[in-house]
Amino acid sequence: MRKKVIANMILTVAATAMLVTGCGADDGGKSKNSSGGSSDSEIKEFTAFFAVPGSEINDDNEIQQMIAEKTGVKVKETWLTGQTPEEAIGTIIAGGEYPDFIEGASGQQQLYDAGALVALDDYLDSYTNIKEFFTEQEWDSLRQDDGHIYWIPQFSNIYGEEKVCTHNDEAFWIQTRVLKWAGYPEITTMDEYFDLIERYQKENPTMEDGTKNIPYTILCDDWRYFCLENAPQFLDGYPNDGSCIVDPNSLKVIDYNTTDTAVRYFKKLNEEYHKGIVDTESFTQTYDEYISKLSTGRVLGMIDQWWDFAYRAGDAIKSAGLDKQGCNYVPLPITIEKGIKNQWHNSGGVVNAGTGLGITVSCDDVAGALQFVDDLLGQEIHDLRFWGVEGTDYQVDDKGEFSRTPEMRTNCADTAYKASHLCTYSYFPQWLGTSRDGINAMSPDGQANEFYDGLQTDVKECFDAYGVETYVDMIGTSEAPGAWYPMWSYSNNLTADTDGGMAWTKIGEIKHEYLPKVVMAKDFDAAWEDYMKAYKKCKPEDFLDEMQKELDRRMEEAAKYQ
Amino acid sequence: MAGKAGKKAGNKETEMKVKITWKEIKRQKVLLLWSLVIVIYGFIFYYLPLGGWLMAFQNYKPAKGLLHSEFIGLDKFKRLFSDETFIRVIRNTLAMGVINLVVTFVMAILFAILLNEIRQRRTKKVIQTVSYLPHFLSWIIVTGILHDMLSGAGIVNEMLRSLHIIDKSIDFFAHPSYFWPIVAFANVWKETGWNAIIYLAAITSIDPSLYEAASIDGAGRLAKIRHVTLPGIKPTIIILLLMNIGNVLNAGFEIQYLLGNGLVQSVSQTIDIYVLKWGISQGDYSIGTAAGIFKSVVSIILIVVANQIAKRNGEEQLY
Repeated sequence: MRKKVIANMILTVAATAMLVTGCGADDGGKSKNSSGGSSDSEIKEFTAFFAVPGSEINDDNEIQQMIAEKTGVKVKETWLTGQTPEEAIGTIIAGGEYPDFIEGASGQQQLYDAGALVALDDYLDSYTNIKEFFTEQEWDSLRQDDGHIYWIPQFSNIYGEEKVCTHNDEAFWIQTRVLKWAGYPEITTMDEYFDLIERYQKENPTMEDGTKNIPYTILCDDWRYFCLENAPQFLDGYPNDGSCIVDPNSLKVIDYNTTDTAVRYFKKLNEEYHKGIVDTESFTQTYDEYISKLSTGRVLGMIDQWWDFAYRAGDAIKSAGLDKQGCNYVPLPITIEKGIKNQWHNSGGVVNAGTGLGITVSCDDVAGALQFVDDLLGQEIHDLRFWGVEGTDYQVDDKGEFSRTPEMRTNCADTAYKASHLCTYSYFPQWLGTSRDGINAMSPDGQANEFYDGLQTDVKECFDAYGVETYVDMIGTSEAPGAWYPMWSYSNNLTADTDGGMAWTKIGEIKHEYLPKVVMAKDFDAAWEDYMKAYKKCKPEDFLDEMQKELDRRMEEAAKYQ
Repeated sequence: MAGKAGKKAGNKETEMKVKITWKEIKRQKVLLLWSLVIVIYGFIFYYLPLGGWLMAFQNYKPAKGLLHSEFIGLDKFKRLFSDETFIRVIRNTLAMGVINLVVTFVMAILFAILLNEIRQRRTKKVIQTVSYLPHFLSWIIVTGILHDMLSGAGIVNEMLRSLHIIDKSIDFFAHPSYFWPIVAFANVWKETGWNAIIYLAAITSIDPSLYEAASIDGAGRLAKIRHVTLPGIKPTIIILLLMNIGNVLNAGFEIQYLLGNGLVQSVSQTIDIYVLKWGISQGDYSIGTAAGIFKSVVSIILIVVANQIAKRNGEEQLY
């Protein structure tokens, strides 16, 4: 009797499996491609680990399956959870077994040092799409000290004309309801920004349902403490070099931790902390707690990078209908004094040579892996990755322009739909800018009409009031500052092997402890003095010297191509 | 482990009598073969990995491997002990280790004795079960609960506020002075019930006639606890204490790692976190190994010293 039951179960499972694979093959059959096989048995599976937080997609994801039909390859992606990139990468290295593809983020240098990556330069010439991805100069800038190329930076490569609507980077963000209440004023300095929040908070201490507002919160969890620490560089009108300021005229490295602007900025935070404007939980909250705070719409303003909050908190605000209360965030062009040109946003792609997608020594088919990367950059698959399936995720009008219905847009913001249907292979190389058809953007984010139509009502109202159409218009844009940019691609990869790297690690540790203390201190000046004492002990000059050397090296490299 | 110690004492006489002869070996062939398996297992999994200690004396690079990395003698140890952070980390580990040891130890014994005094069997069982369940929660969950409870809008602040003890929420995780007590509290909450099980078992094995005799001599409850129960479980207490002393430097990793933040890092970081940070994150496997060796050596010294003290006082010993 029992045997029979088991036999039945096995049969059912087998039948279901056949059904599922049958459907899969059917989907792909419509658009077979010569570059790969189309039946399940021929699909090769690679593994990938990205040392950045991300969401895993379902194993039976539809678009992933379609891409697999066309390319013959499927990649199982895993992401960082609850660790720093260095910890995750260090653990993988200690274990000695690597996934096929890897992106180490700030742990990339460790991978290179451990000899975990395969040199790619001998392969590159045979893959046209990959080769096209960078200019000769850019490829050369990716060479490591042994002269080989080990990884391909995935982002910020612009095809044709740049099309960008979102300010993906750091800014002082503010909820649209605050601006609306004040009649959409021009806010350009830090003092005006906090003054506005104070005034709003005084008049409107709660949300519509009586929940108390949190006027200003600071994310300070582990490596995300950039939300607290690096504003002084922007306030002085410099771009995001991340770990130092570069004077564009003298080409000298400047330490932004000790500038007068830094003192003013932290003093301001200290004042606002004692006025009750800065969230008292700022320095102890975790990233998840921060995101859930933003998701309730209670937080009026904060510094953060768009990618760090917008996708998770933004989607939650949308699905809770909080846009009607004006809880979405827009960036403001803030500097320390009036009249300084801000560089929160830079146009043009900057290659982050410090990290990228690498292939490891554990991969048994490097050529196959690269072929897949090459395929992903082809227009048809690129559209599939970022636009989705024609008719289901976007529509095409008679001029060939892509657009989405409101329903399609809602779908694309839905977590379950994203997991079961969409597959962007988001940490594989990708294009920004204009599609090869010359009409559309490479992804919906860059499609001006589509972007504007998709805006939530409060943001649209706010943009209209300021006479702008995109987030980038809101904050203004400037050209990438120079050939050295960005310096963080170097400092991110420093290890404790060098004096400069040692200093850099210690500085990070000290800042994690003292910056919150400085903000919370009853006596700001004394606290600042303590901080500076501890800071000087880390030998910041070692770090700055090393940055200066790298800056000089980069300028020399760039000079060769002029 | 407690059982092992007991068995050893009992075996002493028989060990003395049996002479090692070929005949004897042959007779015990099967037994010896089986124990050989255990010895090989122990060698492979306990002793072979110690070869990795070599890393501490090298400037180890994964690309070069253990055999080709450059030897640098005691450089890494020198760097370790000239690093202020490491000294602070040792202090934190010892402090939290000792606090945890004392508090959980006392609480477990106290709890076991109190529980033993409960006359109603059912109530006793229910309390026992409820109290040891937290042991099975992982630290990530416990720290999540703690974080919620102690947050600005958490139950603790809510209670203190409604009782008018405070008028503004206390941010428990922002003050270094609260950190060790929070860790100790969490340990007590999680482990008291579990640790008490052993003592309860020891109490059950005390000869009931001793209690009867005490009653006849006119001893009350407290006197019975003092003169019968406590002496009865003394050997257990000593053995557990000895074992736990060796564990003092394992003051924890998860709880400090998960509850810590920049503001309290000067009191929250333990040796294990230091190893993770410098050894794994910074890719300096050598210094991580050096710190690990230091920890093991200190642990061994602690056990040996504690065992000697116990021996001198004529108490139960580990070996």
